[in-house]
Amino acid sequence: MNQSTAFRRKLIYLVILIATLVPLYVLGQPSDGTEDSGGQLAQMRRDFEISESDLGEISPASETMKLASLGLRGVAATLLWEKAHEYRVMHEWDRLKASLNNIALLQPHYDKVWEHQAHNLAYNVSIEFDDYRQRYEMVREGTEFLTRGVRQNRKAPRLIWYTGWFYGQKIGMSDEKRQFRKLFADDDILHASLADEGIAVDSNEALGPYQKPDNWLVGRLWLNYGYGIVDGGIKIRRQTPLNFYETGPKWSFKYAEAIEKEGVLDQRAISAWTRASENWERFGSRSIPTTSPFTIKLGRVDELRQQRAEKVEAFRALGTDIYDEMKQERMKNLPPDLQKVLDKAPEDRTEAGKQAVADLENYQPNMQEVVKRLPAAKQLAAVELMEEMKDLDARISKTEGYRKQINYVYWNSLALAEQEDRTVNARKLIYDAEKANADAEIDLAIKLYEEAFEIWAEIFDDYPILTIDDSAEDLFQSIRRYMIAIDSQELPPDFPLTTFAQMMNNEVGIQDAKLYERVRNEQAELARKRKEELAEEERRREAEGDSAEGGEPDDETKQSDSNAAGAAEPMEEAKEDAPGDGETKAKDESASNESADPEMTEKPANEDKSATDKPESDKPESDKPESDKPESGDQPQTEENSATEEKGGDEKTSGDEPPKSDESAGTAGNAG
Amino acid sequence: MNLQPDDFWTFSEWLLRPGSFLESAMLQGVVLIILAIVLGLTVAYVISAARYGPGEGFYAVARAVRDFLFSDLPGTSPRRIFALARLAFKEAIRRKVLFVIGLFVVILLLAGWFLNPESDNPARLYISFVLTATNYLVLALALFISAFSLPQDIESRTIYTIVTKPVRATEIVLGRMLGFVGVGTAMLVPMGLASFVFVDRGLDHTHYEVVEATEENGVITGTTDYVRNHRHTFTIQEGETQGLTDIRRGHRHVVTRKDDGSFVIGDPSGHLRARVPDYGEIQFYDRSGEPKEAGIDVGQERLAGGYGSAGISRLIGVAKGTRKLEHGYVEGGTLGMAEFTFDNVTKDRFPGPIDVDLSIRAYRSYKGDIESGIRGSLTIKNPDTNAESNPIAFVVDEYEIDERRLPLEIEGTDANGETRTLSLFDDLVNEDGELQLLLRCLDRGQYLGVTKSGVYLRPAESTFAWNLTKAYISIWLQMTMIIGFGVMFSTFLSGPVAMVATAVCVLLGFSAESIYDTRYYIDSNIERGGGPIESLVRLVKQDAQTTQLDVEGVANTVIKSADALIVYTLDAVATALPNLPRMVGTAEYAAGGVDIFAAILARLAVATFGYVLLAFLISYFFLKSREIAA
Repeated sequence: MNQSTAFRRKLIYLVILIATLVPLYVLGQPSDGTEDSGGQLAQMRRDFEISESDLGEISPASETMKLASLGLRGVAATLLWEKAHEYRVMHEWDRLKASLNNIALLQPHYDKVWEHQAHNLAYNVSIEFDDYRQRYEMVREGTEFLTRGVRQNRKAPRLIWYTGWFYGQKIGMSDEKRQFRKLFADDDILHASLADEGIAVDSNEALGPYQKPDNWLVGRLWLNYGYGIVDGGIKIRRQTPLNFYETGPKWSFKYAEAIEKEGVLDQRAISAWTRASENWERFGSRSIPTTSPFTIKLGRVDELRQQRAEKVEAFRALGTDIYDEMKQERMKNLPPDLQKVLDKAPEDRTEAGKQAVADLENYQPNMQEVVKRLPAAKQLAAVELMEEMKDLDARISKTEGYRKQINYVYWNSLALAEQEDRTVNARKLIYDAEKANADAEIDLAIKLYEEAFEIWAEIFDDYPILTIDDSAEDLFQSIRRYMIAIDSQELPPDFPLTTFAQMMNNEVGIQDAKLYERVRNEQAELARKRKEELAEEERRREAEGDSAEGGEPDDETKQSDSNAAGAAEPMEEAKEDAPGDGETKAKDESASNESADPEMTEKPANEDKSATDKPESDKPESDKPESDKPESGDQPQTEENSATEEKGGDEKTSGDEPPKSDESAGTAGNAG
Repeated sequence: MNLQPDDFWTFSEWLLRPGSFLESAMLQGVVLIILAIVLGLTVAYVISAARYGPGEGFYAVARAVRDFLFSDLPGTSPRRIFALARLAFKEAIRRKVLFVIGLFVVILLLAGWFLNPESDNPARLYISFVLTATNYLVLALALFISAFSLPQDIESRTIYTIVTKPVRATEIVLGRMLGFVGVGTAMLVPMGLASFVFVDRGLDHTHYEVVEATEENGVITGTTDYVRNHRHTFTIQEGETQGLTDIRRGHRHVVTRKDDGSFVIGDPSGHLRARVPDYGEIQFYDRSGEPKEAGIDVGQERLAGGYGSAGISRLIGVAKGTRKLEHGYVEGGTLGMAEFTFDNVTKDRFPGPIDVDLSIRAYRSYKGDIESGIRGSLTIKNPDTNAESNPIAFVVDEYEIDERRLPLEIEGTDANGETRTLSLFDDLVNEDGELQLLLRCLDRGQYLGVTKSGVYLRPAESTFAWNLTKAYISIWLQMTMIIGFGVMFSTFLSGPVAMVATAVCVLLGFSAESIYDTRYYIDSNIERGGGPIESLVRLVKQDAQTTQLDVEGVANTVIKSADALIVYTLDAVATALPNLPRMVGTAEYAAGGVDIFAAILARLAVATFGYVLLAFLISYFFLKSREIAA
């Protein structure tokens, strides 16, 4: 090696050094504080609002930690993570928390870490304690850990959502929910720190029935805070918007359910349900981004249908003759039964008939062929209309799919049913009856039970959807206790809830959708037959010389009752089954029963139109919160959703039931 | 604190291991020294033979041994050692090692940011932090000062000014070692004091006011304000002005009521403890009352466990099975129980009621009543006469040390089956001073978990300051050991290389347990990632630890055998090295509020002495050979 090669080598080193400095400069140049200054990293830091100076809290501890790890932050965090796991296995909770703290100091902007470890503390560690107060402490620690994460990551709505989830789900649905909720309500120190975070725990929005903060409502406030942030333009990451938005309104349902379970069965419960209903409606009118390029509003599917119908009308108006001609051609090929239904005015059709007609949309003439036959001048307008219809179709099916995913209709009618005085009264009676039963005042209990069952029968008639509600199971337990109280293996012959009880008895596992469906079908069939018989009887009585008006008032009371409740679907049914409608109708019904699924008559009309849009495809796997983490007792949200997905089809109503295991376990525990 | 089986050994048990001599420390030491002598002589002979020829080489070695035994060792003068030690000391000080104390103070200052005084047991975090920080810092320091000194002297030829004086190689080696140990000691003392102040101040807090106080029949009960994540309740008895708060997070305060009705809350006390435990032998019984080797495993996750320290027996493959102590559970509402037998229960050791501490875990197999905890009971039993006290019921207080007292007089059934008031020492302790405690779970279908260290009698209490001192003594011993190694390597390696060699020894010492564990998995065919090569393959292939190695045929065999070879070699080396984690482990005792057992300190001291002796011998011969060369 002579001098020149040595020199050349030095030159090469120099060039490499300079070459590597260039990207370093571009990436790492610090910002001077003005907009668009600084290198790539500085820009990203600004975009995600994670540069420490933005947060107003430069943490010297965090910086020292980062410096001390000499750029090996990732390695240090991994080692700490390993240690944290070890401490968890060894039940060294204090040290576990200390290591988590250090991980958070090292990598404060890795939001999944906050989420995972907060879950670890609140769910996995808390259950290791035998004393429920210690468990609560640990749940609180976990939640506060998460809150710290929220403070340090301003652009992570999912962390905020998760905090809201913890306050609601963990405190409100654990085995020890009764105790947790009480501890939470009395936890002044936590309330103070929540107030510091900007959560208005002393506002009416957060106060429960006893003027103390309620965990569900506080959880909802957190979620609302998250919604505010997203409305302010920050993207939702690692979560579907639907899942993100539905939780807040649901928490107001959970709140109402929780206070009712705890015996608050008066005006406060009613107003809780009213509020839940309002929130659900507001949710329905919120624009929700979808996997398609457009957003949808869950509560506006009828408007979309209306718009579509208008478009069809407009299309028809373009070429009336051709359209009708082609329609007639198609109609001729229809079976005579269907033709009969079509001949009738829409308001005269039976429920089954309507169902059948709905299917007839398929027998509408093919638009494209219509367009071809149209005069050239009208073709452009027609094609445009067709495009618009196509777009509307896409929106409708997407909306339907999303509604199905979260069981929109179920929650809607639940809120409507529950805010009635009658329902609250029925619940109160059951609650009192249970209490009397527990106090061994058997006679009083039986009396209260019977009163309650009467009302419940009425409620179920008006809101059949409630029979698959979670509280239906509780009611069934009450029926069982009633049977024990009256000391009988069989229900009395005139028992108002006989069908319900039989149905509940039949379902060995309510998860078995097929079996459940069959039972319900049979029930619907039986009910209809029975009602027909009743109608027959009524008519006979009328014929036996009573005045013609005799039957009517009865009918009207029933209608007005339903109107008051504002439930569209069951009202339809009530109308259909109203006696005194004449013979033709009865025939119609039997005729249409052949072609249409008889079960449909009992179902809410607009619930399952779209079979094309499968909700599964809209739900990315990654959105499932923490399904890999072991949990005891608490079912995570996703299980609800995936249950919906699996069931699909007609069985949507039972799909979105609130987690059951917890509830039933709670009941069993209380009973024991 | 969950102790492992060897933590309970007395000094003689550790040294001799009656019953399984292969595991004994003595054997390990003897083997090590013999091995060193044999190896040393062989190597020395080979080198000399190469230098002077086979015949002359033998004489050279023999001369060196003779010199050592008959002139250098007897002629070693403490005065000269002291002079050389002073030299080493001064030299180290001149190299500004005291700077480390400053560094330590800075670390302590910053530590406040990372240690959470609001945690459930802050004392534990604080103490274990200061002790580990001191430990690592002092070890690093020992490494640096010991490895560089001699090579530098040789390089700068200052060594000649010494060797030309009438000093012996033994004196040079011992002088260095002592000098550096002196430096280390001079630094450990202020560090220890600083630690004590740091812990004491860090845990100090004041409750400023009483937020709520009610007086009923002259008895005042009240609640203090909320500071550091806790508040206390207190009671002041009728006619008194002072009362105690309850124990929260390991401490309590004195509350004084002043004449004007206001309250003054004193400083915290009781969070710095040094309990002197007296452990018993544990025996589990299953649900039908049959004795069992271990309690029920409720299926909680366990840390991987290998042989533990089984000495030579592990090395030669005689040791079997895992030796980690885990919580064993007893089933409630059955005949299942854990029986603890304590000996030496005498009136002299326990003048008053007997203090007994419980650390018990609860496990629910069903939810049960949420609001009330799982209940257990303690029964005192005479092992000979079977006289039994009535069970003392308690509710489990998990993850705390539940301090209870056994009364001197208690209702029970005597040896004849009659029910009467029993005297603890007369009826329930047998003639050999033995007493049994039976731990049962009262709730049917629920479980209580305990280990041998979960229930102990507490005959006395030591002071925290003394316990901290003992922890520092343990650190001092480690430092001495490292200095010995450093000086040894520096006699024949250049400075940086000597340091690296010492560091490797330290690292191997620290990872001894995981090497043993890896060997355990290889021995017992448990898939746990395998040895170094297999781990690397798995890393690259992104395979999980517990799957079968996804490599076929010859490659598999090659990987496995190479790994076995590496791990077995490492195992042998690690066995020859001091088990440093055990030494660092004394910090756990101090942090857990348990007095560091004298036996453990004695063991560490003997081991240190052994290793230093070995290092001294090796150093002497190497230095001697270099002198010959020079």
